[in-house]
Amino acid sequence: MVMRALLKRVTPLVKVGERIGLFDHVPEGLPPGAPRPRHTFRWDLDKTYLRTEFDNILDLAKSAIETAADKQAFPGATALLRALRQDGNRICIVSGSPTQMRQVLAAKLALDGVEYDEFVLKNNLKNILRGRFRALRAQIPYKLPAMLRSRLGAAAEHETLFGDDAEADAIIYCLYADLLAERVSLGDLERVLIAARAYEDDIPRILDLAERAPKGDAVSRMIIHLDRRSPPLGYQRFGARLVPVFNYFQAALVLYEDKVLSARQVIFVALEMLDSKQYELGHLATSVQDVIRRGRISRETALLLAEEASAAAASGALSGRSDLPPFEQIARAFRERVRELGAIEPAAWETAPTLDYVRLVDEEHEHRRTRRRQGMT
Amino acid sequence: MHRIVVDAMGGDHAPDEIVQGAAEASLQLPSAEIILVGDSAVLGRLLPRMRHDGARVRVHHAPTFVDMDEKPAEALAAKPEASIVVAADLVARGEGDALVSAGNTGASVLACARRWTLLEGVRRAALAAVYPTELRRGEKNDPFSLILDVGATIEASAEDLVGFAVMGSAYAKLVSSNRRPRVALLSNGTEPGKGPPSIVAAHAALVETTELNFIGNIEGIDIPRGVADVVVTSGFTGNVVLKMLEGVSETVVRLARYAHKERLAWRLGLVALSSAIDQLKSITDWQQYGGAPLLGFTHPFIKAHGRSNARAVTNAVKVAHKALSGNLCGNIARTMAELDERWQRRPRSETSGVMPPITE
Repeated sequence: MVMRALLKRVTPLVKVGERIGLFDHVPEGLPPGAPRPRHTFRWDLDKTYLRTEFDNILDLAKSAIETAADKQAFPGATALLRALRQDGNRICIVSGSPTQMRQVLAAKLALDGVEYDEFVLKNNLKNILRGRFRALRAQIPYKLPAMLRSRLGAAAEHETLFGDDAEADAIIYCLYADLLAERVSLGDLERVLIAARAYEDDIPRILDLAERAPKGDAVSRMIIHLDRRSPPLGYQRFGARLVPVFNYFQAALVLYEDKVLSARQVIFVALEMLDSKQYELGHLATSVQDVIRRGRISRETALLLAEEASAAAASGALSGRSDLPPFEQIARAFRERVRELGAIEPAAWETAPTLDYVRLVDEEHEHRRTRRRQGMT
Repeated sequence: MHRIVVDAMGGDHAPDEIVQGAAEASLQLPSAEIILVGDSAVLGRLLPRMRHDGARVRVHHAPTFVDMDEKPAEALAAKPEASIVVAADLVARGEGDALVSAGNTGASVLACARRWTLLEGVRRAALAAVYPTELRRGEKNDPFSLILDVGATIEASAEDLVGFAVMGSAYAKLVSSNRRPRVALLSNGTEPGKGPPSIVAAHAALVETTELNFIGNIEGIDIPRGVADVVVTSGFTGNVVLKMLEGVSETVVRLARYAHKERLAWRLGLVALSSAIDQLKSITDWQQYGGAPLLGFTHPFIKAHGRSNARAVTNAVKVAHKALSGNLCGNIARTMAELDERWQRRPRSETSGVMPPITE
């Protein structure tokens, strides 16, 4: 009784402490006795879910003072997140934004009707107070342990990860996947952490998390949102499991092929994109062609989707959408866009290629240095 | 959404530079869709190497293409599935709104002429070219004047020349942001009575127009000076003039190279002038202009230079987008209709005769 009363009294203080960055936010794992989640979807926030400009100091300042209502999600991202939030699935958000932004970001997610199970932000105040300035920019030493800690709390059978092309998401996600699948040893991880300039006392902590995290080939798919419109070829080295996408309709197509989403859910993502006025039906049809051309989904999947979406449309998925042409017309346009490609051979993919993470990290640092020289953050 | 069809296989540096230019245009023009026409396997390998927007660039397969040095009519007959033919077809079928090509000029013009329809009131299409001039024009301080026709037709009647004037003026208004482009007829003297009968009759008709800022006749010497923003002439004369202007430029460059080799003092002089020369080069850089239009059809066609690099292609796509956004074809048709009524009241020109079809 006394303990509970004490906890009740202290909890608000802890929350305030977390908000201002005095304490680390520790995500709550599964409640005792809860079943193991079927599928965990891990999302980055800035440039993955939220349209955020970080290219210069002014952008950073603007982003910091924006209200929840000012913040914009990428078209289709909200519908996709809602579709993924089903029974047995878990939504975990790990963002590099500072903990002080928790309130506004949580408000934005609430405004969008996005529910989540975990929401981890970076405690940069703590880094500053401890004089750990290198950690302010560090990606791998922050994100990897956050993901491992989350898995320790609730290990799902499958995981799908969403990131972007602004930072090292592709490297971190592949490293995480390979660690769980035991394709990367702890010795290799230590070398990667040194290359990633992790602080010395952080390395054993991260190695410990990696050792304890439940193992398995859990990460079957990684989606990288090409916010900077980076050339997709740059991601080929990560293999078939990592798919760079230009928009969330493409992400939905890939997840439809993975049997994670239904045709009806793909339609909802498409409708949200059309409602954003940033996309027209033609853009969506071209997006289908693009992922087929890049060998990320098969023609058969696209044609099956057209069939299943047609059935979904007939059963009311498009009801009340008098702004759209009849679905048969839409499906015909999509099929035509696939046909326009001619008899192109699908790309051959290596499922999980062996990656030299130390080299990847070095290249990423060099890339960031170049960007900084060019006046970009 | 404006759909701009790009012949990805046409041009000295195709398909790499063309695809690169189109890819960049997809990032700069969010309200456009770029349709790359060419070998889908080749284009599918190139696109992922470049920054682009995958929702705004699509590929339409065409198995063959017309080489730069092929004879247009023969090539089109032998290659009915050439990229330029497929591209022109897409626009004709309403699946695209404008066409951009850096490929074989004759084949491009011919492919359009065979598939596209002329705007109401337009008797003949005209191929335009841009030329750097001493004087600048428009809100953008554009250093280029427009010369048309430079080869779509051989001869032109007075009615054709008036049509060219209307089309050239509408284009200059839109692309150079020049509210009242100065339009002139190219002749062998500035007096209204100078020149062949078609020029004299066109002059008489143009003087009466209020829609155009017609400044009268100009001579060849006035072209590089930039006296007019739009220089109107027949395809035969225009082509000769353009080639001569290009020849003069090349000769000047060759002479400079000769001077560079010949004497140290001259070399030093050229070095001293190099920054000014670079400045001049940047001002008159044709790549910033992108291309020149084929005017008179219901759709815009921007013919980019055969040597176009990615930047020139991006700019050509942007010009096509501007032509669509500014309703270039609609504006030409409207002005032609307004002039037509006046033209109907005039006695028929003594020069209007049957002209050969578009150059093959």
